[in-house]
Amino acid sequence: MSKEPVLSARGLKKSYLSGERKLEVLEGIDFDVFAGESVSIRGESGSGKSTLLNLFAGLDLADAGQILWGGKAGLDATRRATYLGMVFQSFYLIPELDALQNVLMARRMIGRIRAEDKKSAQELLARVGLAQRSHHLPNQLSGGERQRVAVARALMNRPPLVLADEPTGNLDERTGDAVIELLLGLCAETSTALVLVTHNAAHAVKAMRHLHLTAGKMSSQP
Amino acid sequence: MSWPLYLALKHLFPTGKRLSFFTLISIVGVALGVGLLVVVTSVMGGFGSEVRRMVVDTEGEIQIKAAGAISNYRDIVKKVTAVDGVAAATPYASGVLVVKNGSKPSYPVMRGLDLSTVENVVHLRRYIRVGSLDDLDDDSIIVSSELAHSLGVAVGSRVEVYSPLTLERLSSDELFLGRTVTVVGILEIGHQQLDSNTVYCTLRLAQDLYGLKQSVHGINVRIKPGYNEDEVASRINAVLPFSIRAYSWMETFEDFLWVLQLEKNMIFFLLLFIVVVAGFSVASSLLISVVRKTREIGVLSAIGGKTRLIAACFCYQGLIIGVFGTAVGLGLGFFMLAVRNDVVLGIAHLTQREETLRRFYQFSALPSNTTAHDLLMIIVASIIISTLAGLLPAWRAARLKPVEALRSE
Repeated sequence: MSKEPVLSARGLKKSYLSGERKLEVLEGIDFDVFAGESVSIRGESGSGKSTLLNLFAGLDLADAGQILWGGKAGLDATRRATYLGMVFQSFYLIPELDALQNVLMARRMIGRIRAEDKKSAQELLARVGLAQRSHHLPNQLSGGERQRVAVARALMNRPPLVLADEPTGNLDERTGDAVIELLLGLCAETSTALVLVTHNAAHAVKAMRHLHLTAGKMSSQP
Repeated sequence: MSWPLYLALKHLFPTGKRLSFFTLISIVGVALGVGLLVVVTSVMGGFGSEVRRMVVDTEGEIQIKAAGAISNYRDIVKKVTAVDGVAAATPYASGVLVVKNGSKPSYPVMRGLDLSTVENVVHLRRYIRVGSLDDLDDDSIIVSSELAHSLGVAVGSRVEVYSPLTLERLSSDELFLGRTVTVVGILEIGHQQLDSNTVYCTLRLAQDLYGLKQSVHGINVRIKPGYNEDEVASRINAVLPFSIRAYSWMETFEDFLWVLQLEKNMIFFLLLFIVVVAGFSVASSLLISVVRKTREIGVLSAIGGKTRLIAACFCYQGLIIGVFGTAVGLGLGFFMLAVRNDVVLGIAHLTQREETLRRFYQFSALPSNTTAHDLLMIIVASIIISTLAGLLPAWRAARLKPVEALRSE
């Protein structure tokens, strides 16, 4: 495992205004994840897990603190496309595109599609067990299949970091287990760092490191 | 292909589906506006070109006129034909006649033609439906089709003609009998006004009826291909005496053409509002699409889509609808133009008003002339309006914050 963190956060603070009240969601988070490492973050609803993930994805700005992606601050859209992949609870596939086109969408963000990109996307779909369903639209796929397409999309640009926000939240237990195994397995194979936000304790313990977010503070779990 | 354009095409023409309902409605809206614009501008343009055809075919591109009669017309014809750009010139005499067939009188406009030169300038022969121009002599006339119908004459009929000179002679107690002539041809130009009251005769007969002796009322001029009527008219005026002036057909019909152009422009702008309304419909549908796809917009940001490119995706949708709508509208417009006369006659037949249509309508068929300039105006205007319709939704999409978009229900 490399000593240079893929993602490093120091003293992250984030608050929201709820009416006239200020809600402190994150109160000084320090976090590192390294290449090939998987880290799970658990916490109650409203504990700030998704807020933290949005900060890690560069989609939101922290009130205080610093995040470095591969040692560099700042993650604009172009760098985000190549540096990280995201998996969401509700899959968020583009309904007008078939499975293959959805996977290739990640590649389109950084340039034209070449023949080898199509081959890579096909291979990824085969790896997630959807080789025969690459030309099916999202509404022709089951929940588990959609999430597997989303996993393939997240890995399409071979990013150093994958952020997964409750990836099994909309799936039944068996399908959820399969998706988590797949995600962990693929990230391990490609030495991709994985940050997994989940409610599910059984899924959380499958990661190499387990963290807990309570009242805006991060703590390690044995 | 850039991803915003790719995604815009996929939104409008989704994989596995023929066409989304929104796309169909939006394209039809733009197409209807464009189709109507093509039909109306072409028909209005057709009126202009029909007037030109009618004038040029019967009088040449340039008319030379004087305040009174032109006595030395042979010298003037010689001078005019030497001017650069002039192909030929022919003198004429014209005025109102009284034509009587038995007890039926009519008051057409007479045009006396110099048979030796007239065909170098005007294309009368192509409009003669019955009889022949070759049979025309000093004792015969050719009458227009509706005049022949109203007088009840055919080729071979003999009619009496009187000129205003007859009245002058009657007032000075001279006895003057009408001149009997034979109808040797019936002519149909396709313009209601000309077809209802025109008589063609030889120049000598016209000079005799009007007491012109060797004078004429004017000279018609045909110009060489590729020359401009106004420029040639200016060159002719430079060689003419002050009292005689050459007018291009456009100068002669300047007011009429101006009114026609004004009507055409007004109708263009009024009908353009159909495209504007279609544009609002496109904007409204795209705005709904932005709201519906809020989370998708958030995902696009999350996977590396730049804000301006996400906005471009919605702008492209307006542009694509504009391009497709315009293409379909052009096809629709040309189809409607192809069947325009059948439609007009069909309506007239259904309402049993064919005769009214023929009587009040200036032309025997609905004219049409589509110019590249008009088409370009329509294409550019409709595509710009449709693209602008995509701007508001694009701006709305660009303003969405990725985190809020992803959190939206």
